[in-house]
Amino acid sequence: MLSQFIFSGLALGSIYGLVALGFTVIYKATQVFNFAQGMLMVCGAYFAVTASIHLGLPFPLTIAFILVGAGILGIAIYFLLIKPLGGQALLPMIMITIALSIILRAVIELIYGGAPLTLRLPLPSGVFVLGDVRISQLHVTAAVVSWLCMLLFIVFFRRSRAGLLMRATADGYEAAVLSGIRVDRINAAAWAIGTMLAAIGGVFLCQLQLVSVELENIGLLALPAVVIGGLQSVPGAILGGLLVGLIEQLASGYISPKARDIFIYVPLLLILFIRPWGLFGQKELGRV
Amino acid sequence: MITTGKTRLRAVFIGTLLGLGACVADAMAFESPQDGVYTDRIDWGMTADMSGPASAAQAPWGHGFQTAIKAINEKGGVNGRKINVLTEDTRYDATVERVAYDKFVSQTPTLGTSGMGNSSAQTALVPLIKRNKLPVIGTYTTAKVAIDPPTPYFYGGFCGFKEMAQVGIGFFTDHLKLQSPKVALVHLDVASGKEYSSYVEAAVTARGGTVKSIPIKVVAADATPQVLEILAMKPDYVAIHGVPTTAILVIKAMKQYGIDVPAFAITYLGTPGVYENLGPDAGKNYYFVSCFSPASSDPKAAAEMAAAADKAGFGPLKDDINFVAGWVVGTTVAQAIAKVGAEPTREKLADMLNAGFTANTSGLSSELKYTAADHEGLHGLKPLNYDYSAKAFKSYGDYKDFDKYLK
Repeated sequence: MLSQFIFSGLALGSIYGLVALGFTVIYKATQVFNFAQGMLMVCGAYFAVTASIHLGLPFPLTIAFILVGAGILGIAIYFLLIKPLGGQALLPMIMITIALSIILRAVIELIYGGAPLTLRLPLPSGVFVLGDVRISQLHVTAAVVSWLCMLLFIVFFRRSRAGLLMRATADGYEAAVLSGIRVDRINAAAWAIGTMLAAIGGVFLCQLQLVSVELENIGLLALPAVVIGGLQSVPGAILGGLLVGLIEQLASGYISPKARDIFIYVPLLLILFIRPWGLFGQKELGRV
Repeated sequence: MITTGKTRLRAVFIGTLLGLGACVADAMAFESPQDGVYTDRIDWGMTADMSGPASAAQAPWGHGFQTAIKAINEKGGVNGRKINVLTEDTRYDATVERVAYDKFVSQTPTLGTSGMGNSSAQTALVPLIKRNKLPVIGTYTTAKVAIDPPTPYFYGGFCGFKEMAQVGIGFFTDHLKLQSPKVALVHLDVASGKEYSSYVEAAVTARGGTVKSIPIKVVAADATPQVLEILAMKPDYVAIHGVPTTAILVIKAMKQYGIDVPAFAITYLGTPGVYENLGPDAGKNYYFVSCFSPASSDPKAAAEMAAAADKAGFGPLKDDINFVAGWVVGTTVAQAIAKVGAEPTREKLADMLNAGFTANTSGLSSELKYTAADHEGLHGLKPLNYDYSAKAFKSYGDYKDFDKYLK
């Protein structure tokens, strides 16, 4: 049973990790603690509904539609909401993302109605049997795609010129501006990538159940994941997501579904007390 | 003065018309704003989770209710008045339900209200329902505390959890020819889930069997922990309480772990959306028990509802058990108001229902009858599942065939 919980936890955790990675990308670039990340994930699920059901696009074009749609949404959010309020204190920026989440929810409910929808994408739905362990092919697909996306992002972040500029901007905004880096473009790209990562997570979550704005509640588990892993840390976000997935499965399985929240949020509180920069984050040093 | 027979007849006819006109005018003149009754309309409240985690089931119910009232209004309304539905979206939030209820009691008074689908809110509101004397007719869920003993001014409108448990357990135990059934029950940890759990336990124990209660969260992302418990128990069949997502997660995970036993769910989860999501492989072993008939299981009985649904733009919902339930409650409310007469008030409405009232549900449900001693309304249920090849719901008999399981 333990191995089964671990496999399921890692699969779910991979999706959380993907959403959490999007959160970290946005935070690193713009220092915005994005409470709308769960709803951006939901938007991904509804982009899939639009492409697959309403437009009747084939699967590869559906994927392209989701990614392009999410990218445009991220860029629009940056230029319309984040950039004009750049340099504001933490609280107004947080309030913006909370308001954004509420607005996105209302817009989705207006367009698609409040009732959940069924979306069946041509993704594997069978089972792998490894000894006593039975693994859902959809879980495996979700985990593999999540890991591929994470890997792709890390390569982009570490090896590409755009990634280098993104890191430079994250490390020192003023220095980046003085060096002639077009910071707006970099930040908009960060929002686009963060939204795309969340959207991919949304597509997998809506395959596990129904397409609904309530998926946001599951997507918001990315928040404890990034706080535990470290707000600024890319590997931290991924490992935080995996940790949350594992805790969720083990606590629900061995104690009670209600214990899940205790075992996720108590470690979060402890980390905030003992190591506020997270397990893999770096302590920020202030210079006088 | 000499009058011919023809002239006398004309005079009688005109006199009758004038008399009728006077009566109608008198009725139309009646107003009772504190009861939500006006010369041209009657205000009626409706609360449902039109959004939120339970909206997959409750939003179709709300649409069914609204469609029924719209169809009635298009035919001229009730006793010359249109029914004006005031809808409140309660979003699976007991506090919002309370605020909406207060609103209908006095802020924008209504003659009555329907819906109230949050079992926890309903349980908490029972003392207020007794005190405020606003008839609550046709609830989307029926909490035990509200009907046993009957709460004045409260009248259920959905299949009872007790009956769902008794018919479900009775049918599957006999159908699978079991002597002492082993049953796994997956349920939400809310008031209705605990209540349903106690009824399932009583029904299984009465047949010498054993039951294991397995809780699940309403916003669960995965049902692996629950299904591994089912796997360890090796039950003869599974009972499910929850929201549509609960059924989807549990049945899909059961398939993943190779658990090939039947499962039956509460009425709310017998929707085309759930079957569509599960697909034929997983869905073939998934049943539900219901006191309502989806349109495809009885097209003749559902003809009027289906036409109204198509006209209102809710055509795809006519096969949704929750839409049917909403329609049945809508037509029941209109019939009850009509029976009270031209001068309806909250008090008269409740008195009429307590004196004994049977709604004509056109075969879309089992008998819906209220008396002073019975405020539950619906009792008969039948098992159903979905025939993927025929693309229609299939019932396993008539309501009366399963009355033997009701105690």
